[in-house]
Amino acid sequence: MRKQFKATVMDMAARDDRIVLVFGDISVYLFNDFREKHPDRFFNMGICENTLVSVAAGLSAQGFFPIVHTIAPFLVERSYEQIKDDMCYNRFAGNIVTAGATFDYAWDGATHHCYSDLAILRLLPDLEVVQPGSKKEVDVLLRSQYNNRKTTYFRLSDHPHDIDLPVQFGKGVALKENGSDLTVMTAGPILGNVLEACRDLDVNLVYFHTIKPIDRELIEKFRHTRILVVHDAFGLHEAVCEIQNLSVSYHGLPDQFCVWYGRVQDLRRMIRLDPAGIRECVLEKLACGSADRACLAPSHDPA
Amino acid sequence: MIAACREIRRNILRISKASGHGHIPTCFSVVEMLYGVYQTIRHDPANPSWEGRDISILSKGHASLGLYCVLAHFGYFDVEKVHSYGAFGSDFGCHPDRLKVPGVEVSTGSLGHGIGVGVGMALGLKLKKSDRRVLVLIGDGESNEGTVWESVMVASNLDLDNFTILFDNNRSQERCLPIPNPVERFRSFGCDSIEVDGHDVEALKEALSRRASGVKVIVANTIKGYGCRTLAENIFAWHRRSPGEAEFQKLMDELDAETV
Repeated sequence: MRKQFKATVMDMAARDDRIVLVFGDISVYLFNDFREKHPDRFFNMGICENTLVSVAAGLSAQGFFPIVHTIAPFLVERSYEQIKDDMCYNRFAGNIVTAGATFDYAWDGATHHCYSDLAILRLLPDLEVVQPGSKKEVDVLLRSQYNNRKTTYFRLSDHPHDIDLPVQFGKGVALKENGSDLTVMTAGPILGNVLEACRDLDVNLVYFHTIKPIDRELIEKFRHTRILVVHDAFGLHEAVCEIQNLSVSYHGLPDQFCVWYGRVQDLRRMIRLDPAGIRECVLEKLACGSADRACLAPSHDPA
Repeated sequence: MIAACREIRRNILRISKASGHGHIPTCFSVVEMLYGVYQTIRHDPANPSWEGRDISILSKGHASLGLYCVLAHFGYFDVEKVHSYGAFGSDFGCHPDRLKVPGVEVSTGSLGHGIGVGVGMALGLKLKKSDRRVLVLIGDGESNEGTVWESVMVASNLDLDNFTILFDNNRSQERCLPIPNPVERFRSFGCDSIEVDGHDVEALKEALSRRASGVKVIVANTIKGYGCRTLAENIFAWHRRSPGEAEFQKLMDELDAETV
């Protein structure tokens, strides 16, 4: 995804000289050719995430379209107030592009895990939240949103899915719509696991790459069904629950730190977000049937 | 104290008394600095968003009442409007909102933010090959925030010679985390740092007009509550108090007699 990010930004920057990159000493070598081509528009500013965001806000005030980029927890969780005050409240809009989604840095431990970013950012007014799941979604969504004078968050992952879907900002996609009483809703790269888990099951399957604004119209279509949100982050579940009087449950992150090392697959397995774990959860919901309200309780605690 | 700055302080006292709000001592420490800034920079009160203007940012947003009274003095709006300070429906909040008040360039309040945004603006102006300048007024208390020093490092590393920091050295943090030797401290970060009397308008204007090599820092030695002995000697008690009727008269009398 990061390579796609670079390819897209290279192309956009050739057409729009208002694009300026503000990097926090990450992905710098990947962008060497950008720096060579546009030395006055590439700033590896240092490991100072708060200031990266403030500086980007200042560049925006001068009419530029800044793209701030570094590792997700440091940019979002550490710099939340700069995003809130300097970009959103001041309306000095910028583009925030992170690497290191959820467990992309599984081996580095909990300081490098990031699964709250979508949830906390969607609470800020005037901010768009995008979780591209595929390279195509990175390309289409960056191009469509970078210059709209709203702060937009793009959460990149090193583990994209390769499912080719129509991409339009703010629009979800119904991948399976077969009249089932159970609708699985998901977002971002974990779609690969969800699709593998549900391929032959009698469920509807709805996918989002835009968390805010959420596609309320699409969700409303499945109001009469039970909804199971399967997501390797917080944010989608809360967005779906904003629509009143739905029956929604969540299968994803536990309320505890995931203190295991290894690969992303290992951590997903531990919290039942591997295809087998997801399938097991969906089968449990299907077995419960619509009358069993207990099915709507949180699905799993790995402790 | 020059007459204009005395009148600005009178307005601060009047509005604070009427509204029940106001960080008077910190407002009093920055009056000459802001007055000197708006006498020096390129700006047009009749057209606050004029493309050719220099940019002045009050990073220590709690001195907003001081900023409003200075902007009113320079003709951005009628000072009578500021009497609604902090009230429901007012444009004049206890921290400034750039989308509501003409002349306010950045909405501030949380400390350590305005300086970083100013760095970005100065960088943007450089990229546009503009000769416009950016000035940011920060507090010594504000400089307890790590983001201040991040921003100074970045500005210095980018060699932003169109960027000026005015450091209000009113010693507000003597009680917990002081910033000793600020001139040397900023110099060690690569800035062109000088020290002036922060209540001497001519000295401030000269410092503001001086060409600097790289980021310019003006450490302005000031007194919290300057102009009123009661405030200057009781800065913590008066940090965010507004005066009652008897106190107001006493402060006005002290101001007229210039007891500090």
